[in-house]
Amino acid sequence: MHEYSVASAIVDQVKAIVEEHKAIQVKKIIVSASPYEMIIPELLIEAYGIIIHELDKFKNSTLEIQISKAEISCLECDYKGEPDEKGDPEFAYNFICPKCGSRDTHINMKNLTIESVDLVIPDN
Amino acid sequence: MSPEKKVVVKKHAYQVNDELADKIRESMKSKNKLFFNMMGSIGAGKTLILEQLAAKLSSKYRVFVINGDVATTIDSDRIAKQGATTVQINTGGGCHLSAKLIQNELDKINIDDYDIFIAENVGNLICPAAWDIGAQLNITVVSITEGEYVVKKHPIIFKNAAIAIINKCDLDGLGFNSDVLAEDASKLKSGMKVILTSAKTGQGIDELIKALGIEP
Ligand SMILES: Nc1nc2c(ncn2[C@@H]2O[C@H](COP(=O)(O)OP(=O)(O)OP(=O)(O)O)[C@@H](O)[C@H]2O)c(=O)[nH]1
Ligand SMILES: [Mg+2]
Ligand SMILES: [Zn+2]
Repeated sequence: MHEYSVASAIVDQVKAIVEEHKAIQVKKIIVSASPYEMIIPELLIEAYGIIIHELDKFKNSTLEIQISKAEISCLECDYKGEPDEKGDPEFAYNFICPKCGSRDTHINMKNLTIESVDLVIPDN
Repeated sequence: MSPEKKVVVKKHAYQVNDELADKIRESMKSKNKLFFNMMGSIGAGKTLILEQLAAKLSSKYRVFVINGDVATTIDSDRIAKQGATTVQINTGGGCHLSAKLIQNELDKINIDDYDIFIAENVGNLICPAAWDIGAQLNITVVSITEGEYVVKKHPIIFKNAAIAIINKCDLDGLGFNSDVLAEDASKLKSGMKVILTSAKTGQGIDELIKALGIEP
């Protein structure tokens, strides 16, 4: 599973934010993920813990994952929005377009978003 | 106590990878190079298909193959014997290639020395689907010995591909069946090119070359 790569990608981006704000410590990172993201939240948090082990500015920081809404886009009509609960009886992780009935839909599984970062800034 | 500050970020976790992937795609296209990403399950026949492709294309084109594997150079050595230039990326446990890993290899060569670039992704039907490597076209390979339900269970990696290869068709009817896989792959995505191949006998390889838009 690729939680480790995803956690590294998050840490790399946050490192840049730490630089930008000249922060001395990261307290908390909040990310949001849709329910069909190809990650297991517990494993992502575990991987995050392993990666930050060696990073002074990230010590004792936490990664919080908030679950956002699932979103599909239909390739046959212009529907973009939540899928219905029924799904596609034939294919796992696939959804029938609630507007036109097509199964040619794409579930967005790359909605994993870094929402915010809590930083400690030096006082001067 | 030092002051704390909440920074609103709102950036995709994959953003850095995806931006680099776009850059690779644009730069390859501007140089008229073809770059394909071959994904698929473990042992589906990705390497043997690439051996067949290399054997057929190497007399006319300069083919560069990037092999992603958890360890060993077995696959790249096999393909190199068929006339392609190959390089093996050992992901050291990583379950997919990424744009960065591809860029690292491209930095070591002169892109103008080659015409066609193909990456063999790590054998895995889940993770490679999430990581854009900058290819112009994705191919997903499964084989009929994996059972009839692979497409139903792993539709995502097929949704991300323009070509679905159903391999090991030389075993069709010998306890294995290609019908359900081929039907599912075309049903799942309109416009999907489904190609039945046998990397052992060479069946379907010409059709694949055509589907890739390569003049044989
Ligand atoms: N009968 C038959 N065997 C095949 C075919 N394609 C591949 N094989 C065999 O299947 C095994 C795996 O083939 P590879 O080409 O190494 O598969 P791969 O997808 O590259 O495997 P990994 O890189 O390890 O994920 C080998 O023993 C091949 O000889 C085929 O079309 N028919
Ligand atoms: Mg291989
Ligand atoms: Zn629709």
